[in-house]
Amino acid sequence: MTSATAPVVRTVNLVKIYQNGGVPVPAVRGVDLTVEEGEFVAIMGPSGSGKSTLIHMLGGLDTRTGGEIWLDGMRVDTLSESAWAVLRRKKIGFVFQFFNLVANMTVADNVELPALLAGASAREARRRREELLDALGLTGRADAAPAQLSGGEQQRVALARALANQPRLLLADEPTGNLDSRNTNDVLRLLGQVHAKGQTIVLVTHDARVACMADRVINLLDGQIVDDADITPRRSRSRGTAWDVIELHG
Amino acid sequence: MRAIARWVRADLRARRGQAALTVLAVAGIVAALITAATLLEDGTNPWRGLFTRGNGAHVWIHTVDPPDPAALRRLDGVADVAGPYRSAPATLVQPGKKTPITLREMPAALPRVGRPVVAEGRWLDPRDPEGVVVERSFAKATGLRPGSAFTVTGLDGATHNLVVVGLAESGDQGFYPEWKPGLAWTLRETLHTVEPKSGRTESVTGLRLADPELTDLIVQRTVTTLGGQVQRISTWREVRASMELDNRLLGVLLALFGTVGLIAAALAIANAVGGRVLVQLRDIATLKSLGFTRGQVTLALLIEHGALGLAGVVLGVAAGWAITVYAMQDLVVVPLSLGPLAAIASGTALTVLVAVGLPAWRGGRTPPIPAAPAAPPRGRLSRLARLALLVRLPPALVLGARDAFTRRLPAALTTFGLAVPMMMISIGLGCWATLDDFREHPERVGQAGRLTVRAGSVPAADVEKIALADPGVKAAYPGAEVDTLVPGQTRTVRARALGTSADPYPFHVVEGRMFRERGEAVAGQGLLDLMDVEIGDRVRVTIGGTPLILLIVGRVIEPEQDGEVLSFGIDSLNAKDAVPVPFYSLVLHDDADPAEVRARLQAAGLEVSQPVNPADRLAIIRVIIVALTVVLALIGLANLLTANALGLRDHAVDLAVLKAMGLTPRQVTATLVTATGLLVTLGVLIGTAVGASLSAWLIDLQGAASGVGSGIGRTPSLTTLAIAALTAIGAALLVALIPARRAARFHIPHAVR
Repeated sequence: MTSATAPVVRTVNLVKIYQNGGVPVPAVRGVDLTVEEGEFVAIMGPSGSGKSTLIHMLGGLDTRTGGEIWLDGMRVDTLSESAWAVLRRKKIGFVFQFFNLVANMTVADNVELPALLAGASAREARRRREELLDALGLTGRADAAPAQLSGGEQQRVALARALANQPRLLLADEPTGNLDSRNTNDVLRLLGQVHAKGQTIVLVTHDARVACMADRVINLLDGQIVDDADITPRRSRSRGTAWDVIELHG
Repeated sequence: MRAIARWVRADLRARRGQAALTVLAVAGIVAALITAATLLEDGTNPWRGLFTRGNGAHVWIHTVDPPDPAALRRLDGVADVAGPYRSAPATLVQPGKKTPITLREMPAALPRVGRPVVAEGRWLDPRDPEGVVVERSFAKATGLRPGSAFTVTGLDGATHNLVVVGLAESGDQGFYPEWKPGLAWTLRETLHTVEPKSGRTESVTGLRLADPELTDLIVQRTVTTLGGQVQRISTWREVRASMELDNRLLGVLLALFGTVGLIAAALAIANAVGGRVLVQLRDIATLKSLGFTRGQVTLALLIEHGALGLAGVVLGVAAGWAITVYAMQDLVVVPLSLGPLAAIASGTALTVLVAVGLPAWRGGRTPPIPAAPAAPPRGRLSRLARLALLVRLPPALVLGARDAFTRRLPAALTTFGLAVPMMMISIGLGCWATLDDFREHPERVGQAGRLTVRAGSVPAADVEKIALADPGVKAAYPGAEVDTLVPGQTRTVRARALGTSADPYPFHVVEGRMFRERGEAVAGQGLLDLMDVEIGDRVRVTIGGTPLILLIVGRVIEPEQDGEVLSFGIDSLNAKDAVPVPFYSLVLHDDADPAEVRARLQAAGLEVSQPVNPADRLAIIRVIIVALTVVLALIGLANLLTANALGLRDHAVDLAVLKAMGLTPRQVTATLVTATGLLVTLGVLIGTAVGASLSAWLIDLQGAASGVGSGIGRTPSLTTLAIAALTAIGAALLVALIPARRAARFHIPHAVR
């Protein structure tokens, strides 16, 4: 399979079982999921339904107990931790609920880090960082420490960091879970914009308003997919749709 | 690599204070080690310093006639030649005694090779032909100072009145009295006046070699070149061997301090890095989610903390060098040679890397899910806390007691990290107490006799009578000291006859019993080791040509000659060696002042000397103890800060909850301080107890290794220990109080979860 035809993400009977004091606790129970290139998938479900575990496994942050994970036509669930790390540098961007900026580094350093990690020169990393911060409206905050930023600003920086290496897949774990509605709107608008440019996104949320932005919403319950629905036919969507949805709800 | 560098730089910038403390702690240990090693090398080996300063000659050749220096210089391997100088035997006449000396000619302009180093006064001057410069150790033994009269009689019996103008040290011959006769330098004319006949003088020539290792070869060549002219040859090895004495105890003690200091530093670093990694788990997880591999995280941690440690090593080497070169100019002659310096630097660097390695490796294994910060185990109330609750202690104490032990490993590390420095400090106090004990109870280290008297201007038969007549003198023991040849050994050991078998001198017998009959002897540990004998064995020695068989019946504490001394009653000795009695050792009444008694006895015409207390020879240990205590306190502080940072991190969430429950900021502070304080108290108490119980045993071990023998170790007094422990706990609580207060007032942001 080549990357042109293969889906960006494909899982086959993915299973995750945690051991809690010797008692097996299944978190994900046989998930088959396919995400095509350019798709925006929202995964919803109540607390403990396994959605975070699922997205962590997709990014290699957590190991699977059983099943297969294919990324860009390549089987990745068998990769070692280090191979996963190298893969993440190039292909996967992560955005977390609590932003997770490296506290000791400035905004600029945080955004440049993935580029440097992927082997870009300092100059190249700097150029990309300036571009991204510019696009996200954070040009003036480059030298600020993360603690000096508001939550929305921090999440925008995190988004910039996740996009620094133009990943094939952007994984977002409750990216708005810790934001007020105005900042939520900001972040969602940005996600909409990058999606409009063709970015494949998988997002975990329990907020229906957020899920509305996606092309496709998957409902998880007790570690199994109970509902998988396309909200709008992807092909027919105009570029402004995401923004309109926000406007409607906001 | 760039990404790693970026992160390391950012992290260092964010915690400058802690980083500086790490550097300082390591630098302190390294500097202390270097200082100790320098003192040790210099102290055990004064020859090296003297030889270097005086640009000494490796070989000294005594010949009848002056050899041709040019011929010697042409010899392969000879770099330079000193002399030849004329040298004449003479006798120094002082009130009540005559001492044989060697007068050696030396030019007024100091020569390039083998020049004496003036320590006091000035060098010879042609305008002052009566002036002599006396070798320092000889001057000390004979009480000569610049300005003293120096009356000598030559072999022809004529008396010449010379004056001491200076004292000088030389690495070309050993110290008096190990190296006899004493040496004095004069101008050529003066020497000629004292000894006009050249037939009674000899010629002394020094050779400085290009490679000291080839000494034997060159000596042979020289002997061949000079033919039958050579009377005697001395080499640098003999000189060095004669100067290496009495410092093994010091050396072993310093080595002990250095090693344990290093271990303490390693613990502190491991603790600091481990604590830092725990505090940073979230950031590390984030880095891994960005694509840092396990190896890269480990490498980043190794680089960051290793660099701090190595910076400490470099700074420590520089500081140690500066201390020994500038601050201790009087004590230290030559800075540490390269070998030990490199060993210390690389040893510490290795220790640092090992200490950093384990936590760095653990940091690398952090799971890459930053959303799940490692929460402290939600521990139940510990038994201790429940007990505290039962007896209705204030809530802050109960909560603090609970918090202290929630994380077992860090709690253990903190306790241990404080216990080790405290243990070392207690051992240091033990050494201090031992030194005090040496001074206050010299009889316990074999120095019951506070004064030694010899016949000065009075007849030898009257010495005992005069001495006993003094009100301060309790007893007088007749004594004689002779060098004796031991079978199987190429060198001599000291045989000391003191007291009689019926009335033995009060040696401090620690094993076996005192000698009671003729032919019985007691010995120091050093002698037992040297001859590989035990109590109950017989040894055969040769004293003054007479073989003597002695039964060793006990072991005594023997601070002199590395314990290589055999002691027995004077009645075991042949009459020719014991009559007239060479000296008497005086035991004084407890309230008598040795200085006063000494003055009275001197006035009565006796020659009085006072043995050097071992505590004086070990005085440098006190400096080391103080310096090491400071470094150990620094290490303890580093551990404490780590513990504090960890405690705050683990309990940040709890703090918000506690405040929400209605605890006042003061109660929150008390909770935090209690949590740290409990661990601190535990650590300090354990450390003090272990240190106190170990110190006497360790010092005894040192004593045995150094030949003095076990039985010298003392435990610091309870008061001293209590003060030390309380000071440590108090200081620790104060240090813990500041961040605790700040945390209690600080608003805990929600996102910290």
